[in-house]
Amino acid sequence: MDSSPHIRDDEIFLRMNLAERIQHYLLISTFFLLMVTGLPLFFYEFKAFKWFFPTERVFYMRGIIHRAAAVVLIANLVWHLFYAAFTARGRNNLKEMIPKIKDFRNAFELLWYNVGLTRFLYRLGISKKFFDAHPYWLFKNPPLFGRYNFIEKFEYWAVGWGSVVMIISGFFMWHVELSLRFFPLWAHDIFVIVHSYEAILAFLAVIVWHMYNVHLNPEVFPMSKIWLNGQITGQELRLLHPLEYQKIVEEREKSLPKNAAAT
Amino acid sequence: MAERKTIFFASFYLFLFLLAPFVLSQTNEDCLACHADPELKAEAGKSLFVDNEKFLSSAHGKAEISCVDCHTDLGQTKDFPHASPLKPVDCSQCHETASQEFQKSVHFMTTETKGSPIVVGCKDCHGTHDIRGSDDYDSTIFPLNLPATCEKCHLKKVPAKKGPDFILKYEESVHFQALQKFGLTMSANCSNCHGAHDIKQVSDPLSPVSRKNIIGTCGSCHVGIRKAYLEGVHGKDYVKGVGDVPVCTDCHSEHDILSRQDLKSKVYATKVAEVCSRCHDNLALTRQYGMLASRLETYKESFHGIASSFGETRVANCASCHGFHDIRPSSDPNSSINPENLPKTCGKCHPGASRNFAEAPIHVIRGEIAGTKYRFSYYVKNIYVIAITAIISVFLIFIAADLFRRIIRKDKHG
Repeated sequence: MDSSPHIRDDEIFLRMNLAERIQHYLLISTFFLLMVTGLPLFFYEFKAFKWFFPTERVFYMRGIIHRAAAVVLIANLVWHLFYAAFTARGRNNLKEMIPKIKDFRNAFELLWYNVGLTRFLYRLGISKKFFDAHPYWLFKNPPLFGRYNFIEKFEYWAVGWGSVVMIISGFFMWHVELSLRFFPLWAHDIFVIVHSYEAILAFLAVIVWHMYNVHLNPEVFPMSKIWLNGQITGQELRLLHPLEYQKIVEEREKSLPKNAAAT
Repeated sequence: MAERKTIFFASFYLFLFLLAPFVLSQTNEDCLACHADPELKAEAGKSLFVDNEKFLSSAHGKAEISCVDCHTDLGQTKDFPHASPLKPVDCSQCHETASQEFQKSVHFMTTETKGSPIVVGCKDCHGTHDIRGSDDYDSTIFPLNLPATCEKCHLKKVPAKKGPDFILKYEESVHFQALQKFGLTMSANCSNCHGAHDIKQVSDPLSPVSRKNIIGTCGSCHVGIRKAYLEGVHGKDYVKGVGDVPVCTDCHSEHDILSRQDLKSKVYATKVAEVCSRCHDNLALTRQYGMLASRLETYKESFHGIASSFGETRVANCASCHGFHDIRPSSDPNSSINPENLPKTCGKCHPGASRNFAEAPIHVIRGEIAGTKYRFSYYVKNIYVIAITAIISVFLIFIAADLFRRIIRKDKHG
């Protein structure tokens, strides 16, 4: 995407407003607490985790903290739902988050662009005719992303799905008597298994996927600061979210003649 | 003829009687003339001092028994200072029953063994001139003092086969704490379990602490527990003479019996599972007696087991569901794990526990779940494992591809 005269490279855009950042902070802190107080139970055989809860009292507090963090997480989720439903910005973000066929195509295209196998074959002269007729398969350029790329959309909906699973299974683990009044023991067992394995999935997803994308990726290393100040520059917008950049340019172009007429 | 004989003997005895004060002239005062001197020593350097005050307050002193009643070989002596050493005092001339009992004891055996360096006599436990009754506070065998008396030899001179600390461990036990802290003389001291005069080695089947007798020994104080034990599955096998059946000491340990609230106790809430699993997770024993195996393994995987391994005492351990002294098989209608009673048993911690609890087994062995409803949870688990592996693999592939492209691009630009 070429630089447009309508957006300066050092112009500041608000990618995450304060409410969104607070929601993110709350998610980080509750997620961290839930992991710290929950995961050791899954790895109960590792002696190293024993010092985590050295006494019975600490172990008791673990349960309290875990539940308290869960309540805050749920409250945060409810806030986010209201925010997404009843504010213009929230509604717009949610609209941008809706997964589209394009996202699946983007994922496919990005992977093949990065691997670059077809370009390599083309340079070697293999299947030259096919690639000349169908240049798409050369993946010459990375796919262009809008406000949210497929990675961000996946993470967003993964948090949503994960929260629902964890809240339902966790609720029945919290109220085991209630659970066992409605369900047989084997079904309750499934709640426990789902809760623990979903936690492992969430933990690994955050550690591997999210940490790479927002911290370790050379593009942003050591850390993308968006979660702290919510700001993104015109240049970053142009490079990382070209379709959103384009959209803003178009909006400004449209409003320009009006301004010109006014002046 | 007969009359003359009678007169002869009568006058002879009268003569002896009249002579007695002159022949048996040694009164306690005579002895103390020398032995009251604290400096009095034998040639070997051994003190020969006799504390008359102590003697007078001793059981023998109070009974006005004189020195020569015990030191019988001095009764006839006239030359003073008398020859030394004296013959050992023979207590059996008065204490016949105790002496007979003593002759059956391990202490007597060591004395009898030729060349044994260890000789145990009455005085080693009871003292000498200051012997007191067992109800005397200052007696060596007063319940509060007895452990120290036994420890005189059994800490260093004759340590237990299980190690020198084994005896000392008694001092950590509830029994000793009750004695020492609260002065409860009915609490078990050495002789309550091991016997007194007829003390025997543990390996002796007649010993009160042998496996065969230990139930009765502990049960002599813990009567209710003994009754419960004998009603339970362990007790029934114990009566049949099954050797592997656990007795009191197998779960509660021996000298260091602690309160179950004590963190170090073998039957502390979070440790019970280890105790039970010594047999119930032992493949050889479970096969021999047809018991269900893998009890510990399956408990450990449950939330009860996990929380317990982190020191949580409020979760169920073996005893919470199965009971303890009177553990019964689930087929017994009085058993806490009889299907009819399960809702009540679970309900102790989970109020309102429904019959659903009884529907599925708690200890599920992985290989045996096919066909049970438990397989669903394993399906879910497997699906998750596959899904997690797949998703994280895709993440890693994307990350690897991303890094690969960045490195190539850098090469080109650089």
